[in-house]
Amino acid sequence: MRLPDLSGSFNEKVMRNFILRRLLQTIPMLFLASLLIFMLFAKTPGDFIDGNITLTAQRAAELKALYGLDQPLLSRYLHWLGNLLRGDLGFSLQYQIPVSQLLNQYIWNSFLLATIAMVLYWGIALAVGIVSAMKPYSLFDHVVSIVIFAAMSFPTFFLCLLLIKWFAVDLHWLPVGGMTNTGSDATGWAWVAQVAAHLVLPVVALVMLQAGSLTRYFRASMLDVVRMDFIRTARAKGLRERTVILKHALRNALLPIITLLGFELPGLFSGALITEKVFNWPGAGHIHIDSLAARDYPVLMGFTLFLAVLTILGNLIADVLYAWADPRIRVRS
Amino acid sequence: MATLLRSAFAPAVQRARRTASFRIALLASAVMLSSFAFADDVLKEGITPATDASQVPAAAKLRTDTVIAGISEPQGIFNPYFFVNGWDENVTNVIFARLIDWDSQGKLVPGLAESWTVSPDGKTYTIKLRHDMKFSDGSPLTAEDVAFTLTVLYDPKYDGDTDITLAHITGGDDYKQGKADSISGLKVIDPLTLQVTTTQPGATTLQKIGGPVLSKAYYGKGYTRGNLDYLRTLHGKPLGNGPYVYDKYIPGQEIRFHANANYYRGVPPTPRFIYRVTNPSTNFQLFQTGDTDYDAFTSRPDDIEQLKMLGFANINLYGSSDYSKIEFNVRRPALQDVKVRQALIYGLDRQKLIDVVYQGYGSVAIEPIAPISWAYNTDGVNPYKFDPAQANKLLDEAGWKAGSDGIRVKDGKRLELTLLVSKKVLNDALIPIAKENYQKIGVLLKPQVVDFNALMSQRKAGNYDLASFSTSTLNDPHDGVWDYYSTESTESGYKNPEVDKLINEGNATLDIEKRKPIYHELYKVLANDPPVILLGNRKILSASSARVTGFKPDIYNGLTGSLPDVKIVK
Repeated sequence: MRLPDLSGSFNEKVMRNFILRRLLQTIPMLFLASLLIFMLFAKTPGDFIDGNITLTAQRAAELKALYGLDQPLLSRYLHWLGNLLRGDLGFSLQYQIPVSQLLNQYIWNSFLLATIAMVLYWGIALAVGIVSAMKPYSLFDHVVSIVIFAAMSFPTFFLCLLLIKWFAVDLHWLPVGGMTNTGSDATGWAWVAQVAAHLVLPVVALVMLQAGSLTRYFRASMLDVVRMDFIRTARAKGLRERTVILKHALRNALLPIITLLGFELPGLFSGALITEKVFNWPGAGHIHIDSLAARDYPVLMGFTLFLAVLTILGNLIADVLYAWADPRIRVRS
Repeated sequence: MATLLRSAFAPAVQRARRTASFRIALLASAVMLSSFAFADDVLKEGITPATDASQVPAAAKLRTDTVIAGISEPQGIFNPYFFVNGWDENVTNVIFARLIDWDSQGKLVPGLAESWTVSPDGKTYTIKLRHDMKFSDGSPLTAEDVAFTLTVLYDPKYDGDTDITLAHITGGDDYKQGKADSISGLKVIDPLTLQVTTTQPGATTLQKIGGPVLSKAYYGKGYTRGNLDYLRTLHGKPLGNGPYVYDKYIPGQEIRFHANANYYRGVPPTPRFIYRVTNPSTNFQLFQTGDTDYDAFTSRPDDIEQLKMLGFANINLYGSSDYSKIEFNVRRPALQDVKVRQALIYGLDRQKLIDVVYQGYGSVAIEPIAPISWAYNTDGVNPYKFDPAQANKLLDEAGWKAGSDGIRVKDGKRLELTLLVSKKVLNDALIPIAKENYQKIGVLLKPQVVDFNALMSQRKAGNYDLASFSTSTLNDPHDGVWDYYSTESTESGYKNPEVDKLINEGNATLDIEKRKPIYHELYKVLANDPPVILLGNRKILSASSARVTGFKPDIYNGLTGSLPDVKIVK
């Protein structure tokens, strides 16, 4: 007779309960978020029709009735919520297509750009953070600090324009903006190559702007851990410095960083507004802002709720990862 | 209906949002300089040809059959009666031709319609179509299609921007309300002749009924009143009769077209045309590297200088047809007094404002119409030159006496006025200038910066003293004064029986020579009893690469008016 692996099933069960409980908690949170989002936008002065100065008063009233903007707030909310529960995000007033279709047109472009940038700046920050923590206050550490602070301090707009001036206008190495060559019918690898060429400058801009703060986090976190007793023990036992840092220190230093990773999730889809705009990247950033300016309520609410879901989900994932990486958390919860 | 840049203000708004802080600093320093120096050579209106065509970038030369123009924010609604923003209108203008077009002065000229006649009472229009016209799929274009288009506009579920009720077609309202199954005022006499009967004459009726034509066979499949659902599914699959045929839309990137072999003015000489999405922050760089062949730019000395330095740019400067203004809320007791309103115009240094904002490429507005219009005539119209002494005199006469802190007081009330503005370059300069100017005549100005929709809703609620905004593109002088008609000015409460009478007279005839003196008289009356402080008229700058010829845009036709003639130089 085979003995059940008690420890494994126990862990799995605890984990499953933990995740289930957290998922249940998100349901009231989402309802609250949806109500808040709806009220916030519905109560913003001016509606979709108000911005059109060419309409006569009579025509404006007709249009408000057609769009249901003359209905009381509560019934508008319930109507929207009812559709939402049926999986229908609504129909964009401004674009005249379903909100889900509209988002689908743009968010994947934003996701592509943001994901590549994120992998790069997490990698760079991780490597640079560790190295500067291993030799704190060395020349390398100082040089890195100066460089990342300089990169961070560039205004986004200016940095993007500077990159365009150097690499696109003067050197002709890379395209000014867009995602593919205008009028190109390229498919397959030719298409991938085009997109990659168009990605370089916006990715460089995003990495330069984001890597700095993350590097500081890693460095600080590493420095905290390196000073702890168990590291001294590890060194005392004669382990190589490499093993001490990469195996013992890094794992513990990464714990607080997991929370940060969770927060990145909505950012992958929301679009980097200024960078996308300057590089004409067809991302979702401007959709959100434009729909606010035009009071395109279905898009506004759909998009904001989508980001709210991602935020909550990102938190959940961070908690699960945290619990997985650090048994102390799991026991307490 | 607005042409080209109805959202002409939209790009300006976006620009302001992005570089707001930079601009404020720039403007502040400009405002502080009392004398504003201009470049010696101010660019003249019209086309300034390229100086060195050999500078055309190699990337552009590689495109032997394609012309690329910049566009800001197309949204994908490619139906001329359903789009929401002006950029989509720029797209539909490529795909759809109008029955009746405008020339560069805003006069009506034949388009798909060969000719038209108007009955002596001005109520019946007989429109004759050209022979043998076809949609791009080869199907014939007839008067039935025009009647169908106008019927859709009267559909109770129609939610687009075109307000056809202002054309007052007989039986239109009955159709809308379900009392009749067709519109009695639309009569197809033969396949090439449509008779439109209206209940009242209107100078703008022809431009309302003379718009783009929807194919009944394509858009009207299974159409019944109140059921536009099928038609809406075609927004992304337009079928038209314009110079180019729609191929493909890549959201956020480009819209592709090919030349229409069935175009009634002959196949355009350039086989392919593409709108590429650009924005003001990098559209110059895209033009410089040859990614685009045509784009619109901000008319500022710096931008013009940059374009000139390229060598290969044909630079085109033309007047816009809109105007900016500050509206008085005449319901407020202080502003009911015409002397106070006049004083507020005399007391504002509008020349300085326009110089700072447009740097030589704009002018102070004297009439509610742009200088490019046939109706513009400033003889005998009070120009309200900046005159603080006159402003003080008028305020004294109105009974507002200076209080202890310099702010005028009447019946225990201080002369404090709120000014609603949205965030844009013009307003960034207006606030400091107006505040300082009005302080000097004893008026305390309290600016409130809100976004555009919020401004309009606050204005609708009557919760303002002064509100600054611009008109949309004006195709007819009637559009420029309609806001001051007593039934339309419900927000501001402006009422002047003489203004109403002249607006009616101006709209009652189509004869431009008869309309001119009516509008001239109207502008004088409006100047003496001002409903608004007129601010400025601006100019629009665009450039095309020397490798293409034929671009001659104006505000009424935009760049699409040139498309049938745009050619790549071999």
